[in-house]
Amino acid sequence: MSGELPPQVTRTREGRPATFLEAIAEALWEEMERDSRVFLMGEDIGSYGGAFKVTRGFLDHFGQSRIIDTPISEGGFTGAAAGAAHMGLRPVVEMQFMDFISPAYDVLTNYIATSLYRGAGPLPIVVRGPVGGGNRGGPFHSQNVEMAFFHTPGLKIVYPSTAADAKGLLKSAIRDDNPVIFEEHKGLYRAPHCREKLPADDHVVPLGKARVAMEGEDLTIVTYGLMVHRSLEAAATLARDRVRVEVIDLRTLLPLDEDAIVASVQKTGKLLIVHEDTRTGGIAGEIAMRINERAFEWLDGPVLRVTAIDSPVPFSGALEDYFLPSVADVVTAGRYLVNY
Amino acid sequence: MPGDATALSRGVVRDLLYQGFQARFLAGGAAKSAGMPFGVDIRTVAMARAMRHSSDGKGDLCSAGHLAPGPMLAFGATPLEFLRQLGRKGTAPAAARSGGRSWTDLRRGLIGWDGPPGTMTQVLAGVALAFAQRGQDRAALVFEEFAATETGGWHEGMNFAAAQAAPLVVVLDAARGAGDAGEGAADAIARGYGVDAATVSREAYPELFRTVADARRRAVQGRGPSLIAMLPRDQDDPWALHDAFVAWARDEAGVGRGEVKAIERAASAGVDHAFHRLDKEPEAAADDALVPVCTHDVPQPAWTRRTPPEPGWRATAEPQGFHDVR
Repeated sequence: MSGELPPQVTRTREGRPATFLEAIAEALWEEMERDSRVFLMGEDIGSYGGAFKVTRGFLDHFGQSRIIDTPISEGGFTGAAAGAAHMGLRPVVEMQFMDFISPAYDVLTNYIATSLYRGAGPLPIVVRGPVGGGNRGGPFHSQNVEMAFFHTPGLKIVYPSTAADAKGLLKSAIRDDNPVIFEEHKGLYRAPHCREKLPADDHVVPLGKARVAMEGEDLTIVTYGLMVHRSLEAAATLARDRVRVEVIDLRTLLPLDEDAIVASVQKTGKLLIVHEDTRTGGIAGEIAMRINERAFEWLDGPVLRVTAIDSPVPFSGALEDYFLPSVADVVTAGRYLVNY
Repeated sequence: MPGDATALSRGVVRDLLYQGFQARFLAGGAAKSAGMPFGVDIRTVAMARAMRHSSDGKGDLCSAGHLAPGPMLAFGATPLEFLRQLGRKGTAPAAARSGGRSWTDLRRGLIGWDGPPGTMTQVLAGVALAFAQRGQDRAALVFEEFAATETGGWHEGMNFAAAQAAPLVVVLDAARGAGDAGEGAADAIARGYGVDAATVSREAYPELFRTVADARRRAVQGRGPSLIAMLPRDQDDPWALHDAFVAWARDEAGVGRGEVKAIERAASAGVDHAFHRLDKEPEAAADDALVPVCTHDVPQPAWTRRTPPEPGWRATAEPQGFHDVR
């Protein structure tokens, strides 16, 4: 084990701001230091340090038994993570890109998610990796995968929007006794506006609790991930029209913090849901239904959504920009709602 | 052959006789919706007995797969537990939330089969990885139908186990979905992964036992997984090997004729007791379906099929003050 720490895990120790990616690295490092049962598995995460260098230097420090370079077989090593979790270990599985989680869909939904219910015990596994578009990655390196798993009881899904949340939520996910899908928008990894000083103590953010990213009284925007930042930009534009927007950052999609959404809608009477995932079968539909069940009496307008269009993520920059929800889209929908 | 052959033979005789309950169970129509065949194969019992058993969660682990319950009995399961599983009783180990073979008891070393062929090789590879990481004298045993080798999932699990030199013993049952698998088929696969292979067919019990025991010993020594192909037995008479084994145990392994009779009587009484108990036990309660799917309580939606809204239901309170903000 080497004594020199990789630079991406020392920002907070040195009192310096950390990027979103460094926050992820710090969370992994600290949890591995804290709990010897935690180990990492994934493609090229060892000597190569992972596709985005999150785990650069981890192999030297923690050794091969805890930093496992896997074959390119997402189903196989996710299944193996289940076995290791049965035996009391706490595997953190990295998908090089979350688009590649689909080969592991079977074992995640049929075996891992059902384990506790079947009486086979809890399986504390985190499956984490980069998601999202805007990087010209095309259809196979840009997807958001949350809704492929959202309807599977037994799973949790986390999708942070800030560096502090990324660190705190990932630490919580690793400590959680349930399987957690942890999505990291690659557009936030090194984004300058996401660089921030992280709490120096053992920073843990509970799963299942949304946060109010901006307070307002005229319109609620419920969103998560990169779209939190787009929504805040839109809110700033709308503020020039004297529209006070409340932005709810879900942080955790499953379990969904329904109470936070309802409370905000009871205050504003208007709800706009913004997500980068495609429209049909997106989480907006579920949120709208829950508001229909619990806060119909408080609504002063239709529930609207701004999402990606229903297509694969296109490769061309021009096409992808059209595909993704923009600040202008959010502003347009927001204006429509407040004037409804 | 390690250990006391006679004592081990007694155990296998008992397991075999216990295993016979399933045929009776199915033939009696009690498992009306179970509807799936259960393998009565002496060889799996003998093989499973070659592993190290424990009831404290410190022994080997086994996934019996489609060959349940034989290997499960060898790992300490009882006929009553398995009958409860098949009968969907709330008293079943999986509390009727999962089926006959989907039954996990880590203390006794049982991992239930869930997922398509190949899945359990992946899972048991991870179990074995954990053993290796901790330097434990433990190994994992998984039974798969040979057809699993036609799935990518099985190869991913096998490849992972081989790459990690995980202490895993994989038994491939060529009696099921074997295609043209025969002598040498497992060798060809094993060569690809650089692991040891063996083929068993109608060997006597000690040789079956020794084959798995050797594979286990190599595995816990850090020499990686092994593949064992189990070629089809005599399909015309599934009891032939059973009867032959009992005869062998009686005539050659030193289990006396009287002892065999005593074991048969005890096993028969145990099975009768299980059936008697099973008949008296109620089906699972409907509310048992509502156990949490996570380790903490998961709130149910406000309206469910169990608590429908009253006719004329309205929200109980009007918005206060901020309804017309503009």
